[in-house]
Amino acid sequence: MQVPPPKSDLPQGTLDLLILKIVAVQPIHGYAIAQRLQQISGDIVQVPGGSLYPALHRLENRNFVKSDWKETESGRDAKFYHLTKKGRAHLEAQTENWRRLAGAVGLILGLAEEGAR
Amino acid sequence: MNWWSRFLRRKKLEHDLSHELAFHVAERIGELQSKGLSEDEARRRVRQEFGGLEQVKEECRTARGTLWLESLVQDLRYAGRTLRKSRGFSVATILTLALGIGAATTIFSVVEAVLLRALPYPDPQNLVSVREQAPNGHRMSLADPNFEDFLRENNTFETLAEYTGNQLLSVVGGNEPARVNVVAASRTFFNCIGVEPLLGRPFASGSDQTNSPPAAVVSHAYWQQHLGRTTDLSKFRLRIEGMVLPVAGVMPAAFDFPSGVAVWVPRDMYPRQSSRTGHNFRCIGRIRRGVTVAQARANLSAIAHRIRNRFGNNVDLNDASVVPLADALVGDVRTALLTLAGAVGLLLLIACANVAGLLVARISARRKELAVRAALGSGRRRLVQQFLVESLALSLVGGAFGVFLALWMVRVLPAILPANLPRQQNIAVNAPVLLFALIATIAVAGALGLFGAWRAGEGDVQDALTAGSRSYSGSVSGQRLRGLVVAGEIAMTLAILVGAGLLGRSFLHLIGINPGFNRQNLITMEFSPPRPGGQSFGMDRGSIARQAHLMENIMARLRAIPGVTSIGLAGALPVAAGDNLADGTFLLLNGQKSPANFEEWERLSHIPSQTGHALYAVAGEAYFRTVGIPLIRGRMFGDGDDWNAPHVAVISQSLAQQRWPKTDPIGQLIHFGNMDGNLKPLRIIGVAGDVRASGLNAPPSPIIYVDYRQRGLQANSSPTVLIRSAAPTGQIVPAARSILRELAPEAPAKFSTFEDEMDGWLADRRFLLLLVGFFAAAALALAAVGLYGVVAFAVARRTQEIGICMALGAQRRDILRLIISEGARLVLFGVALGVMASLLITRALSSLLFGISATDPITFVSVSALLCLVSLVASYVPARRAMRLHPSNALRYE
Repeated sequence: MQVPPPKSDLPQGTLDLLILKIVAVQPIHGYAIAQRLQQISGDIVQVPGGSLYPALHRLENRNFVKSDWKETESGRDAKFYHLTKKGRAHLEAQTENWRRLAGAVGLILGLAEEGAR
Repeated sequence: MNWWSRFLRRKKLEHDLSHELAFHVAERIGELQSKGLSEDEARRRVRQEFGGLEQVKEECRTARGTLWLESLVQDLRYAGRTLRKSRGFSVATILTLALGIGAATTIFSVVEAVLLRALPYPDPQNLVSVREQAPNGHRMSLADPNFEDFLRENNTFETLAEYTGNQLLSVVGGNEPARVNVVAASRTFFNCIGVEPLLGRPFASGSDQTNSPPAAVVSHAYWQQHLGRTTDLSKFRLRIEGMVLPVAGVMPAAFDFPSGVAVWVPRDMYPRQSSRTGHNFRCIGRIRRGVTVAQARANLSAIAHRIRNRFGNNVDLNDASVVPLADALVGDVRTALLTLAGAVGLLLLIACANVAGLLVARISARRKELAVRAALGSGRRRLVQQFLVESLALSLVGGAFGVFLALWMVRVLPAILPANLPRQQNIAVNAPVLLFALIATIAVAGALGLFGAWRAGEGDVQDALTAGSRSYSGSVSGQRLRGLVVAGEIAMTLAILVGAGLLGRSFLHLIGINPGFNRQNLITMEFSPPRPGGQSFGMDRGSIARQAHLMENIMARLRAIPGVTSIGLAGALPVAAGDNLADGTFLLLNGQKSPANFEEWERLSHIPSQTGHALYAVAGEAYFRTVGIPLIRGRMFGDGDDWNAPHVAVISQSLAQQRWPKTDPIGQLIHFGNMDGNLKPLRIIGVAGDVRASGLNAPPSPIIYVDYRQRGLQANSSPTVLIRSAAPTGQIVPAARSILRELAPEAPAKFSTFEDEMDGWLADRRFLLLLVGFFAAAALALAAVGLYGVVAFAVARRTQEIGICMALGAQRRDILRLIISEGARLVLFGVALGVMASLLITRALSSLLFGISATDPITFVSVSALLCLVSLVASYVPARRAMRLHPSNALRYE
């Protein structure tokens, strides 16, 4: 039996950002979002359905994404999500925010390592 | 999509959700299968990864943001189900709340219409009532010259208008002669109030006045009844006691000021009065925009001071009172209405307390169900919500029934409303009243729901679950709380009962008072005999003789009606509004020369030792016999007392004691010519028994009676024939009416009975007593039911204990004592609390009481005793059941 790679807990609010980013590329259904996140992150980010779908629905209620039912390649009906204008603006703002925060966190952590040495 | 449409489309969303998740699962299974797992294996893996499908769904639903609404709907359904199941509880609660909310809504509709609603005139806040104020604070109507000074010298009013009170006069010239209320008012009266006539024009004023002849304005009701709703007013000429006036305008139906008036005539139809102490006119004013009532008052005050400084003791004002018209109209009714509002508020509280008691009992019974729900994961918030929803459902239904009750009550209310309650025709269940009912309902629902939730949240889930069905011990604290609630209820009931008791005892005191006359079987016939002299004040010898002749003819014919035992005539009834008889200052001549003219009279009237104050009553000798006023000393008017003989007077006993405490009044010469314009002095020939002419709650009035054959019934009297008869009123009245039509065709009469006229004195007290008594009875019933519930519950809870006691040899008497004492403790506590509260509360009632103090010990003791007795009965019923238990049954009781 295959041992699953260690999962990483996502910081609060990050999941929404990641979902928006994936949806921004093209209209996509929930299962594919989970697949894509896992692929791109090299199996580090694994979103269980229990978190993915409530997050998607929350985003839909906030009008960041919209959905409609379309046929997949395999010929089944699936709910495809696409980004709204409001969602794109939110994504950009949050991405910028995240970059700044990540840079800052990196700086602080680097400094701490130097001090320890 | 907003949350509301999400809520409405929740079925579709739910469907989509299942579909979406099913797709995910299927895809994942497919993928795992393609990696070589068996279908079962794949399915298990997915379940592991995904977590519980239902749980995910629930989280998605939460994300939808409409869960609260969905659970509300769920709760409502659940509430409906449980309430339907416990029908007894639901019905009791709904009826109790309907009673409380219905009564409160009804009283609020009265308070709203009478106290809260703005007057239906433009800028009503600027309308004020103006009165003179004496140094002792007594407020009086205005005297003509003082009004003129106020009008001329003020700089805070747009207009001031004087007007008389309602005078019941014969108005001829409409379709038929009628006896209706006539008011004489300044030309500016209608402009001051700011209401335009429906038809025609108001009084001509200012420069128009000189060009147009004086004309009358009539009320909508008079126009409808007597002018046939015609739009052509020009064909009518109204003859009112010697005046002839065209009709200038018709006021709208809603305009009723002063209340009950039918015809307004210009003030200048009557001569200007020069006396500064003849307080004959009421006054309204419209203050200028931006001027406050206080400023207006200060302004008129200063003018009153100037008048006082100029005329000294020749005037009796030294200040002016200016109050908003709305307040002046309501007057003394305020206290009575606030008393009612207080009583009904307490009743509503008692109703709530009763329901709260029921709720505690129900929660005790439902403890297990609640514990199960809590154990299955119902959050505390959810439980609170459940209780709120349940009590909201109950209260809304109760409130709806209450509104229906109020609608019905408002319809029957006019039958018991006292005639002197101002603005009562406006009472209706309107938007503000409905809003009040809604707010009351929601407040009750909220309070009860929170109370229920708090009770439900008490105690340990584990305890409740593990406790056997036989144990009621988990509800001991509930029982104690319920006891406290009932004690509070008893205290509030006592307060209402004390109020009702005090009012009731005052009422008994009042009707027990001897009014000084025999009121039974007396028919009154009020009318104005023709006065050839018109409005001139004094009557000459010829017109008095003609009038006396006519009156004697009428009375002789009336006396012949079968069943009539005696007939009397007076210038006014000594009852009704209480101020029917004119009052004034008279001179004691004490051997001095009688004044030769009224200037001399005026001079003499400033010597306090030689003047007195009395009511002036014109009457015939038969009046005393008919009404039942005894002659105490001296003699009555006799046949010899005609115009040529010395004029005579009979005085009332209280006046004799007041003015001639040491000497004999008989034979004294007095002068009261200021009342009838006749300069002949009066010699006192007799002393008659006292009557309470100013109301039963006032001391006997000093009265001077004069003979109508000597002084005449002049314009400001309302002549009344009193008919004492053994036959029913319905038989006498038509006969009397036809006699009058024959002998005095232009003198319409108003028939009534003495009892009815006197009723005006008692109507408002009776109304208040009736309602407070009703509330007290309702409160007593509710409190009794509440106490019964507590004791019955205690009996049920202690059944096993009782069984054990009996098995151990306790007598029935002991059991009875055990149970009754349970209720008695609560009752005594409640009564003690209630007595203390009532001692504080009833002080507000003082002005409504008569003959007793607000802390009347008899009332307090007897009301407490009554409450204890009722409580005893309420706890005896369940106690008897306990007493009759068979020990073996009781022991096996679960």
